[in-house]
Amino acid sequence: MMVQRLSISALTGTIILAGAVFSLATGGRADVGAAEIWQALTGPGQGVALTILQDIRLPRSLAAGLLGMTLGVSGLILQTITLNPLASPAILGINQGAAVGMIGALIWPGLLAPEWLSIAAALVAGFVTFAISGGLAGRIDPMRLVLGGVAVGTFAYAAVRFTFTLDDVLAQQVLRWTVGDIADLRWSAVVRLAAIGLPALALSFALAHRLNLMALGPVGSQSLGHDPRLTLILGLILAAVLCGVSVSVAGPIAFIGLIAPHIARRLIGGDHRGLMPTTALCGAGVMLLADGFSKWLLAPLEAPVGVISALIGAPWFLWLTLRAKELH
Amino acid sequence: MRPGTLIALLGLALAATLCWSLMVGAVPVRIGVVLNTLFGLDGPRQDFIITRSRLPRGLLAALTGGALALSGAIIQTILRNDLASPKIIGINAGAALGVLTASLLLPKLSASYLPLAAAVGAALAAGLVFLLFELRAVSSARLILIGVALGLFFEAIVDFLLITVPGAAVSGPLIWLTGSLWERGWPELSLIWLPLTVLFAITGLLSYRLDLLRLGRAQAVGLGVRVRRERLVLLTLATMLAALSVSVVGVMGFVGLMAPHLARALVGWRHRLLLPAAGLIGAILVTFADATGRIIAPPAEISAGILTAFIGAPFFIVILWRNRREVQP
Amino acid sequence: MHRLFVCLIGFALALAAVPAAAVEVTHAMGKTQVPDDPRRIVVLELSFVDALAAVSVAPVGIADDSDRDRVVAAYTDIIGQDWVSVGSRKTPSLERIAALAPDLIIADKTRHAGAYDTLSSIAPTIVLDSLTGDYHEALAQAAVIGKAIGKPEEMARRIATHTARMHGYAETFRVKAEGLTAQFGVANTTGLWLHSPNSYVGSLLRLFGFDASMTGANAGDYAATYVPVSLEQLSAIDPDILIVGRYTDPAITDTWADETLFQGLAAVRADHVFAVDAHEWSRLRGIIAAERLGARLAEIMTAL
Repeated sequence: MMVQRLSISALTGTIILAGAVFSLATGGRADVGAAEIWQALTGPGQGVALTILQDIRLPRSLAAGLLGMTLGVSGLILQTITLNPLASPAILGINQGAAVGMIGALIWPGLLAPEWLSIAAALVAGFVTFAISGGLAGRIDPMRLVLGGVAVGTFAYAAVRFTFTLDDVLAQQVLRWTVGDIADLRWSAVVRLAAIGLPALALSFALAHRLNLMALGPVGSQSLGHDPRLTLILGLILAAVLCGVSVSVAGPIAFIGLIAPHIARRLIGGDHRGLMPTTALCGAGVMLLADGFSKWLLAPLEAPVGVISALIGAPWFLWLTLRAKELH
Repeated sequence: MRPGTLIALLGLALAATLCWSLMVGAVPVRIGVVLNTLFGLDGPRQDFIITRSRLPRGLLAALTGGALALSGAIIQTILRNDLASPKIIGINAGAALGVLTASLLLPKLSASYLPLAAAVGAALAAGLVFLLFELRAVSSARLILIGVALGLFFEAIVDFLLITVPGAAVSGPLIWLTGSLWERGWPELSLIWLPLTVLFAITGLLSYRLDLLRLGRAQAVGLGVRVRRERLVLLTLATMLAALSVSVVGVMGFVGLMAPHLARALVGWRHRLLLPAAGLIGAILVTFADATGRIIAPPAEISAGILTAFIGAPFFIVILWRNRREVQP
Repeated sequence: MHRLFVCLIGFALALAAVPAAAVEVTHAMGKTQVPDDPRRIVVLELSFVDALAAVSVAPVGIADDSDRDRVVAAYTDIIGQDWVSVGSRKTPSLERIAALAPDLIIADKTRHAGAYDTLSSIAPTIVLDSLTGDYHEALAQAAVIGKAIGKPEEMARRIATHTARMHGYAETFRVKAEGLTAQFGVANTTGLWLHSPNSYVGSLLRLFGFDASMTGANAGDYAATYVPVSLEQLSAIDPDILIVGRYTDPAITDTWADETLFQGLAAVRADHVFAVDAHEWSRLRGIIAAERLGARLAEIMTAL
């Protein structure tokens, strides 16, 4: 048991470390690679490498890690409260809803801070998906959930694609952003992410016990005196907040919320008290690796990290659908 | 009101919408001029605008709208889920990928080949979905999930190509992805009117089969229906209807999802009535959206695909809200 | 008598059927018969407006992205304000174009090649590569346009004047530009796009004697014309002179102003970062535009 625990921690730690190294070692300048970063970290550190490390790569990698955590936990909550292992912010249309919020903030700056508009829109999208799938009555049909999410996502995406027909400067900004891009995140973005994301994560961890009960299914949990509706609403709000703040900082990044919980469950099992932190860490690891790939794949150009996560995550999702047991 | 009367009224509404679409656009054209141009009478005419732009465009909108609606109706019946649509068997994303790949990797290729690339992409995507489905052949729920997953994967590749291939963002494919009839005319219409009409006829003939399949597997088998084979035939039909549409007008996400809902609310489940009603509603929707897109901010055009989503979404949500306690048949 | 009358009618009809004398123009999509002296010209890119304005010809329709200010004063001073907007350059309104009853349409290869047949059914259409072409191609396209509008000699004279003027600028810049790299880019709030050496501005800068900074081992392989770059990549490219056109205010370069890496750029340290009008430098891409660029650059060079 101890050995198993240790090896799991070791594995998770290795993934994250590898991801962190990969993420920090790649970037727009080929001459600032792993060796230079190491020197900057350990040695007296001078010049360009140190500046790049401090000002650009550290905050970016840190942001990637935080995003992985928030998106991963958001996905876990959604999977549990919908009793559907294939749920995630993107599939339920919540990501796309947040994207609409951000576009709104771009078009009407000054209406509301982008983060809050994004979160608000994410909440609306999630609410609609839940309503469609019967969540308001307390019983969620998993198929209607996925399809309702697709419908909401389609609508939100039409709103996003609408901006392509507008002013071409705006269109250019939107296009790059809608796939999820962390290229120019600095410490200010990290602060914004942490300010909202960390408390939300903490609250999510506090919800772990309720989520465990939720996972027992409606009958089992109610016999233990648990009210699924409350957990549903709390979970949805937290998931929307986590997703909304992520989208407002980096755009809609898909599939982290799907992959991270699955990896974590494989490692540590279904008890949310341990599963949540593990999911957060796995999400961070995956995002860091994806970030490294996004910079390394087409160097010196960058592929936005959202595209990389989708290219990895979509086949994974496909594989899951082929393997998953019946949803009902 | 009798369903037959409703369908006749829908037909009239379509005709009216088509007439209206001939009159509106960046250049408003009075009804007198329209008639002069159409029937070769004396007086002021607008040959290009009416006969080469708006007329084929309106007809194309009606045809593709009808095709998408029929495709959606078939898919919703077969998969026994009213939230299904052509999008979820990966057609839209497959077509987009086909067009993008063709136009980016073979830039010398004439633009008239792009519909073919779209149709091929859509057919391949749907084929892949069916193949994977047959490998695991468990339930329509699985088919839906596979379609969604595949669609997301193709969309990811589309996004990747759009971002990384230079010049992609300004050329045609991006417009096409929003479901636009810009510059569509007789060439595109002549490409698809015959196949679509044939498919419409075949679909109509299979109305009864669809009714049986809707009853559910057990009942259908009991009534002598070879479920698996018929399901495959009908899904292929739905794929072709949607693929042909998407290949000429691009990705219009909401029509196939919404039109069957509205039709069902009006005339019920019997496919002899449902299919014509859905087809007409789809046709009206796209024609109306296309015409409206031309008059919101002329001379700019807002794509029909965006407007069908904006117009349709509220209707859709209202209907789903009202049906949220309904049990699936 | 009756027969003579019929013959005359037939002859007159035959004459009417003979097309007006036409010019054959070779362009990116092949050859087109263009009428001899087109009076009603519709252009779907701003660089074509430039070419027409260079020989004082006013188009009747321009694809101006529904923003008349995009046709800058330098052009409207020559061609006036009577032209009709036909919509965006991406998807111009075919209806508006047709309603103008043009006798010549000039379109862009990247954006409108797919619509060539439809445009040709409205009026004879020539297609030129404005978007990805460089400065020398822009001059060649102006010559083609000159031939198409029936003013080949006038256009040739204008190009000759222009070339002389540009050589004049190059001479002025030669000494100071020796060995310096100059880089132009456009910025909005979320990104910076650099114009590579094979873009219009890039090739113009090379003409003026500047070296290109986006080549060689430190900058990698930039095949595209307009390249999005991050701050890190900019620091690797590190031009001696940085010329930025901002589409938004503030743009990302303003956000970067406080950063150590940005402040460490060669151009920033030497105070060689210059602001220019993004629209004029990036979108116009013509003869008159090049002369205005040269004039602005001359201003910049006095500051060096």
